[in-house]
Amino acid sequence: MLLLLLQTTSTTPQANYIQPWVGNLAAWVALGFLGLIGVAILYNVFTGKIDLSGLISEPNGDASMSRFQLLVFTFVIAASLFLIIASAGPPAFPKEIPNGILVLLGISASSYLVSKSIQTSTPEGLSGRGPQVTIKTDRSETTFNGPTVQCQADVVGLSDTAVTWAIDPINFGTIDDTGKYTPPKSGQATTVTVTATSKEDVSVSDKETIKVS
Amino acid sequence: MPVDPIIWYVKLEVYIFLGALAAIIAHRLLTGEINTNYLLYGIQKGGTKYFSPERVQLLLFTLGTAMFYLSNVLQNRSSGVLPDVSNQTLVMLGGSHAIYLVGKAYMMLFKKTGKGD
Repeated sequence: MLLLLLQTTSTTPQANYIQPWVGNLAAWVALGFLGLIGVAILYNVFTGKIDLSGLISEPNGDASMSRFQLLVFTFVIAASLFLIIASAGPPAFPKEIPNGILVLLGISASSYLVSKSIQTSTPEGLSGRGPQVTIKTDRSETTFNGPTVQCQADVVGLSDTAVTWAIDPINFGTIDDTGKYTPPKSGQATTVTVTATSKEDVSVSDKETIKVS
Repeated sequence: MPVDPIIWYVKLEVYIFLGALAAIIAHRLLTGEINTNYLLYGIQKGGTKYFSPERVQLLLFTLGTAMFYLSNVLQNRSSGVLPDVSNQTLVMLGGSHAIYLVGKAYMMLFKKTGKGD
């Protein structure tokens, strides 16, 4: 943009009403300002204040091929555009952007979006790399002699998805193998802790609380 | 004061900025400071990882297309025109992405992990 501004201000009739040194001074100031911003960005990237370690990482910590290809094509097209502008006789934007370039960028961006949709539609795509158990309940509280609470355990990162259910306090109601918690008929209002422990790896578990009043 | 020195300095600034940024990113990709763990691995339904041929072919097509286009630009940079991408290249690239996405969707959404996997 700065290149084109310099080209047009030197040829438009309005330039006759502006002292040439004012326009050039403004251009030098803008150039210096943009240069400082560029140096600041590069410095922060180099020293790590702008952290690029997760540049192509997914939420689960793994590197993403869809992000990588989007990075590659975006950078290549941007660099190509600048090369074409800078290498032309007087610098100038290309008269038109070829349809093939637009289609290529569209394929790259669409692929990234679809890949993200697939990734975020499953718990495996969002979880950390290690095995995990996550408890979900259909309600967070119930009453004495009231409705049961169905607990569900999502197991990620283990081939066996079976879990062992337990409650604390131990005799404050019952919980069966399917995760259905039945509250006691009477008692004092208590918060029950439900624990689901993986049968394959007993170190992997999750807890959830249910209020009984 | 003529405009040409300013244009020369603008070009220099942008060349330095883009070049330095590309060099930093490339260096960090090669040394592992930018995470590339499991780049060629997908995740099956159930959370187990598998070596993904669809990612390998996408990586090859991406790098091949990018390098081919960049070399085309470097050869024709003084023409003032961005080179176009041929329909055959677009079809191949689209097919590569489709294979990657279908494979990813099948493995993450439908394929159950068996005891032998």
